Amino acid sequence: MAWVGREILPHEADVRAWLLRTLDPDDLEDVIQETYCQIAGLKGVSHIASGRAYFFTAARSIVLMRLRRARVVSIESVTEIENTGIAMDEPTPERVVAARRELERVQRLIEELPDRCRRIFELRKVDGLSQREVAEQLGVTEFVIGNEVAKGMKLILQSIADGDRKTARAMARMGYDERARNSTSDQ
Amino acid sequence: MSERETAQAINDRAAEWVARMDREGHDPAVRAELKAWLAGDDRRRGAYFRAKVAWNMLDRASVLRAGQPPAYEVAAAGGGWFSRRRVILGGGAAAAAAAALVVGLPRMDFFAAPDEQIQTAIGEIRRVPLSDGSLAAVNTQTALDVTMKPKLRQIALKGGEAWFQVAKDRARPFVVEVGDVRVRAVGTAFSVRREANGVDVQVTEGVVEVWRVGDEANIRRVAAGTRAFVAPDKAVVSVAAASEEIDNALAWRTGQLVFDGDTVAEAVAEFNRYNVRKIELSDAALGQKKMIGRFRTNEPDAFAHAVEILTDSRAVITADRIILSSD
Repeated sequence: MAWVGREILPHEADVRAWLLRTLDPDDLEDVIQETYCQIAGLKGVSHIASGRAYFFTAARSIVLMRLRRARVVSIESVTEIENTGIAMDEPTPERVVAARRELERVQRLIEELPDRCRRIFELRKVDGLSQREVAEQLGVTEFVIGNEVAKGMKLILQSIADGDRKTARAMARMGYDERARNSTSDQ
Repeated sequence: MSERETAQAINDRAAEWVARMDREGHDPAVRAELKAWLAGDDRRRGAYFRAKVAWNMLDRASVLRAGQPPAYEVAAAGGGWFSRRRVILGGGAAAAAAAALVVGLPRMDFFAAPDEQIQTAIGEIRRVPLSDGSLAAVNTQTALDVTMKPKLRQIALKGGEAWFQVAKDRARPFVVEVGDVRVRAVGTAFSVRREANGVDVQVTEGVVEVWRVGDEANIRRVAAGTRAFVAPDKAVVSVAAASEEIDNALAWRTGQLVFDGDTVAEAVAEFNRYNVRKIELSDAALGQKKMIGRFRTNEPDAFAHAVEILTDSRAVITADRIILSSD
C-alpha cells in the first residue's frame, strides 16, 4: 500500500494525460479503475523497478484488452495505442525528486482543502485522533465528521487525478460551496 | 451506458467507503457490506483500492506533529483508527517492531489480504477481541493473520505464541495454521506456540484436534489439561497430561512468568523472549541449576537478583544487558 502511494499515485495525472491521446474521455475513468484493480492484485512489488513504467504498461494492457473485448476493433486503434510510446520511459530527475517528496505532496493535499475540512484532516491525520475524538473536540456529531471526511477524500482523489494542481476547479465541479455546506451539515 | 454505474459515481462511493471504514471498520457487518459492494466489479475494487492507498498515504502527515517521533503503525490492511491507536511506538521499540515484522510481511495482494493482521513487539502482550466474539491473547514478538470466512475462522500464526478463547460456532470451525500443522476447535480455549523445533499446543478448556496437512488420517484429539507437541520431522503428535504446567506456561497472559523446577537456562531463554535487554549466562553449570519463582515479564533485573540469591551467583546489570555468572 505504501509503495503504491509513493510510486504509483504521483504518476496518475501523467498516465491520464497519456491515455487521453488515444482514449475516449468517457472511458478514461474506467481504465484507471481497472488498472488500479490490477495493481491491487499484485502478489509483490520487488520485481518492479519503476512504478511509473509499470503504471503506464498496466494501463496500456487494460486499454488493449478493452479494445479486443469490444470486437469492433479497428486495426488502427490497436496499432495506435501500441505505437504511442511516450513518457513511460524513465522519468526525468526532477520528476523523481518530485515523486519522492511524498511528505510535501501530502501536506499540500491537506492544505488545499476547504477550511473546516482541512481542520478535520489535520486532527485525524496529523494528530492521529479518531473520527469520534475529532467530533468531540469540534463539538459536532460523528455523522458530520464522516461526511466531511468523505468530501475531503473526494477532493483529494480529484487532486491526485489532476496532478495536485487544480483543486479549485474540482471543488467547483462538485458544487462544493462553503455556504451550502454550512447550512446542511451544521446541526 | 445509461444503466451502467458511472465511473465518477464509483469514485465517490469509494471515497465514502474509505471514510466509513475509518469509523466503523471494526464492525464485521460493515466489512461484509463493503465486501458485497466490491464483489463482482473490478472498477469498484480498483476505485476503492486507489482511495484506500491515498487515505493511507495521508498518514505521512503524522510526522508534522510537533515534538513527536514518527508514528509506527502496526496494523496493515483494514486498519482504521481502532488498530492505529492501539500501537503507536517510537524510537527503539519501533525498530524492534520493524524487526518483528519480518516474521510476517504484509502481503501486497490487497483483496486477498487477511481481515486483520496482529503484530506485537518485544515485551508487548495484547488482548485482541476478534470479530466472531473470540478473544486472542497475543504474546511477545508474535505475528498472526485473522481471516473470517463464511465456513471457516482461519488464523495463521507466522511466529510467536497466542492463546485463544474461542466463541462457539459449530458451523464455522476455528482453525489455527502453523506451517503445515493444523489445530481445530469449535468452542474451547487453547494456546499455540511456534518454536524453532516444533509447534506446542496447550489446551485449557474443551477439546481441540491437531494434525499435519496431508496426514488427516492421524488427527489427534487433545483435551483440557493436556498439551501436544508436533516436531517437524515426526509424523506422530505427542500428547501429555500437564494441567499445572499449562497454568504456569500461560501465566504470560497476565504479564507473569512462572518457573517450577525449570532450569536457570530455560528461565533465561523465556525472559529473553520478552525483553530487548538480554540476559546472558556466562557458565553452563549455572544454567543447569533448577529454580522456582514467579516474576513479571518486564522485570529481568528482579529475576537476575532472585537467581543471585537462589544459586549464590553474581549478576552484573548494565543498561543494555544482564550477565549472570557463578562467582
